[in-house]
Amino acid sequence: MSQPTTLQPPAASATQDAPRTGTWDGGNEPFKASYGKLMMWFFLLSDAFTFAAFLTTYGLIRHKHEVFVGKAEEFVFSTRWWPVPDKVFNAFPGLHGMDVPLGFVALMTMILILSSVTMVLAVEAGHRMDKNDVQKWLLWTILFGTTFLLSQAWEWSHFIHGSEKGMLMADGTTFFGANLAVNEYGPVLFADLFFFITGFHGTHVLSGVCLLVWCFIATSNGTFHKRGHYEMIEKIGLYWHFVDLVWVFVFTFFYLV
Amino acid sequence: MAAHATDENLQQGEIAKPNTAWIWKTFFILVGITAVEFVFVFLMEPSTLRNSIFIVLTIMKAFFIVAEFMHLKHETKGLIWTILVPMSLLVWLLVALVTEGSYVGEVLQNMFK
Repeated sequence: MSQPTTLQPPAASATQDAPRTGTWDGGNEPFKASYGKLMMWFFLLSDAFTFAAFLTTYGLIRHKHEVFVGKAEEFVFSTRWWPVPDKVFNAFPGLHGMDVPLGFVALMTMILILSSVTMVLAVEAGHRMDKNDVQKWLLWTILFGTTFLLSQAWEWSHFIHGSEKGMLMADGTTFFGANLAVNEYGPVLFADLFFFITGFHGTHVLSGVCLLVWCFIATSNGTFHKRGHYEMIEKIGLYWHFVDLVWVFVFTFFYLV
Repeated sequence: MAAHATDENLQQGEIAKPNTAWIWKTFFILVGITAVEFVFVFLMEPSTLRNSIFIVLTIMKAFFIVAEFMHLKHETKGLIWTILVPMSLLVWLLVALVTEGSYVGEVLQNMFK
């Protein structure tokens, strides 16, 4: 490479050309967003497609199955028809044997929405370069996120262990709860979809909590303060809100509809 | 340690007052919509109409989360459309596969009649 490329200005040029400012001359931020934020948006878009595929699968399989026709009081679990969600998810920790339809999932939804709020508060504190406030709100977000994960663990455990009644099997034994092959609530695929969809969402929450813990440590070390901006909190925040957003849809299509 | 922190703050100047009213407003809107959803779960028999109400309320909630919390409303138009336009594919996917599911179910349930 003895010949200079056209991209490099000749070294001997006495007068410096004025900087080039065209669209393709570099230095522009497409969409006036930083590279990291833009890539986070595109990642979230692809993740939205993954979750949408899950929920669409749920829709397809649910429509494939029979619907229970009759009064809500007369509903019984059967592999013939799709279960009514408020009959499956009606347990609440500490209220053994009581019928609290969707009570626990309502609580979980509130916790996740609250964690979204504390996340925005952390981002807002970052804009003001208020390190103490960022730490405070990150801690609250980690707390709510962990509470959500523990609630989900309880819900899974209850779902897996099942009701006291169980389901009478063809061989005369009684089966309690659910696994990937049998469940007492309804068609096999009902439990499978429950495990896959809420499990995939829970894994996202877990990754989010890990990222937030890392953010908290970096904030405490003053990494972002020295950098001069708290954009990392914004990017992790985008991810966290997305996880909340997914839950809004899971909540509607799994628990309400 | 405390003295060091004060020095840092002095270098950065005064910390501005928090501006959080809009965050709490969005929060109460989200809680309100969720409460309305619960009213419909318990006061209305399951039907296509009820499901449609749920989907509309869910999209409203999604709007507030994406527009306010994720700040998309305040981004450039190009970014907003880049995110929203691919979503229309999902609407097509959902409608197509749910219709297909109903058809498969109908075939299976009438196979031996």
